[in-house]
Amino acid sequence: MRILIIEDDIEAAGAMKHGLTEAGYDCTHAADGEAGLAIAREGGFDVLIVDRMMPKMDGIQLVTTLRREGDATPVLFLSALGEVDDRITGLKAGGDDYLVKPYAFAELTARVEALSRRRETGAVATTLKVGDLEMNLISRSVHRQGQEIDLQPREFQLLEFMMRHAGQSVTRTMLLEKVWEYHFDPQTNVIDVHISRLRSKIDKGFDRAMLQTVRGAGYRLDP
Amino acid sequence: MRLPRLFRTTTFRLMLVFLALFEAAAAAFLAYIYISTAGEVRLRSERLITKEMHSLEAVYEQGGVNSLNQAIIERTASDRPFLYLLLSPKGTKISGSIAQSPIDDFNGDKEWKKFNVTETDPDGAEVQKGARGLQERLKSGEMLFIGADEGESESYVHKIVRALWGAEVLVVILGLGGGILVSRNVSRSMQGLNDLVAAVRTGDIRARAKVRGTRDEIDELAEGLNDMLDRLEHSMGGLRHAGDAIAHDLRSPLTRLRARLEVALIDVEAGKGDPKQGLIQAVEDADGVLRTFNAVLAIARLQAAGQVPDPKEFDPGALALDVAELYEPLCEEKGLDFKSEVTPGLKARGNREFVAQALANLIDNAIKYTPEGGAVMLRMRRRSSGEIEFSVTDTGPGVPDEDLARVVQRFVRLENSRNQPGAGLGLSLVVAVAEAHGGRLELAEGPGKIGEFGPGLRVALVLPAG
Repeated sequence: MRILIIEDDIEAAGAMKHGLTEAGYDCTHAADGEAGLAIAREGGFDVLIVDRMMPKMDGIQLVTTLRREGDATPVLFLSALGEVDDRITGLKAGGDDYLVKPYAFAELTARVEALSRRRETGAVATTLKVGDLEMNLISRSVHRQGQEIDLQPREFQLLEFMMRHAGQSVTRTMLLEKVWEYHFDPQTNVIDVHISRLRSKIDKGFDRAMLQTVRGAGYRLDP
Repeated sequence: MRLPRLFRTTTFRLMLVFLALFEAAAAAFLAYIYISTAGEVRLRSERLITKEMHSLEAVYEQGGVNSLNQAIIERTASDRPFLYLLLSPKGTKISGSIAQSPIDDFNGDKEWKKFNVTETDPDGAEVQKGARGLQERLKSGEMLFIGADEGESESYVHKIVRALWGAEVLVVILGLGGGILVSRNVSRSMQGLNDLVAAVRTGDIRARAKVRGTRDEIDELAEGLNDMLDRLEHSMGGLRHAGDAIAHDLRSPLTRLRARLEVALIDVEAGKGDPKQGLIQAVEDADGVLRTFNAVLAIARLQAAGQVPDPKEFDPGALALDVAELYEPLCEEKGLDFKSEVTPGLKARGNREFVAQALANLIDNAIKYTPEGGAVMLRMRRRSSGEIEFSVTDTGPGVPDEDLARVVQRFVRLENSRNQPGAGLGLSLVVAVAEAHGGRLELAEGPGKIGEFGPGLRVALVLPAG
């Protein structure tokens, strides 16, 4: 997996590169918007991490240009601007996800992972299958080892998201953003309780637990 | 040279413009009166002269020059308002009341002429009067001149003109005087506002404009300025307080963070122990610092903007159920009885995300402070006033009356809550959200003391009628 980091803060970019390389990604760094655009045009990247505010060319302009040229590489915006409108501006310009600085590193890797794998599941599926867990998106039913599991609507949405990102770490913030569509951080870990409810439904009584807690990051659904 | 302040005021300038307009209108009016009056006077004397001429011509037709001469002598003697002169074909006087014709070079058959006559009035003074005359050549070559003075009517016109000029002068004087008075009055009122602006500019944010109670636009402006300054002072005060509070609340976790890192470093250098635990805690400390910082920033932004970004219409019941659904499992896990009671189908206007966050904070607080076995209730209803009320009631220890007003302030955490996590910003954010929506936060005692529970707390987020 190749990642292009376009970020003018050399130190932050260095830490990011170090961490992502450690996580198994092949990283390239560009220190300003123009250089970033030139490297991105060469292509071959799986994810672009783009800072919103940079000298010479800002992130919005860069991504707008790439999208106009037909480049659909997933873009993760990084920004110190966290207001609702800033997020909307970023996503409208063609960004696929938006992370507000400062962020936990686990949050960054989880989102990069989600973006880098997104392309592989392009086709519209009516059923999802992870290990012995099966989800029918039309009849909205879930089975594990042929046994029907009764889920509340929100639990269904939660499991759907986890199944679509099976094998990947998913953070609490991501769940809150994608499943509940809230962009704030609840003071207590309300998400944990929802996950443990879901876990008791899909894992209880089976020999192997699928829904794992990833320390310091979030959760992962293993096949 | 600069004009005195008074003459530079907008009011005075406007007044000058109006005065000029009024003067122009008056002048036009005057000219019209003059032209029509004077024209009428001329027409009238011309008609009279023409009539007299016809009558004398009739005499001439019947009896020739001699009869005409006779008639002129008679008429000159009688007290007729005409001047007569009969001239021979060579231009010498035959008879008449004046010595010679005012027309020097008479060539045609008929000619009108305007001239002056000198009369002696009863006091003996000589008076010049305007007159008009008509001279015609008779068939036998003699010339007849008839004139009449326009004196009476002319002086009447003059009188009118003089009166109109007088009125004009009066208008100018009154206009200027009134203008000066009015603009001095307005300047005085404006001066108060200017003084205020000057005071604020030099840093006195507490200065306020005097409202005179006249309910005019200057009062309105003064009230507007005062209101603006109130808000400004409020948010500046808020910022100052936030600055102090941030310094206070961030300094201790930052100090802790630094100490942990230093200890971990010492341990690594000494080659003993595993620094991992210290680092994990340091990261947690850093997250705490960031959370506090984000909360303060969100509050400050809301307060600075005075309104929420991107307001839209939403269903407050659906929102309440949504948040309830998010928190219900947490309550259950903590052994709390959670209930929600929602009026469906209402409408509210605002930023859904912020209201949801405010509501989440309220429920979060309720869960945090209610002991196991207690209850938390979320309600959403429309008050009879039309306002939308979200309320969260718990059976926790509640807040003593004397502290009710204090808990909504930033960073205020009551003594018995010191051992709970959080930066004490939850309620402040709710207040900021309420105020940015034009609403408010109400705190009251909960359901009261029931056994070991209570008296509880009831917090209501009230949004204005949709």
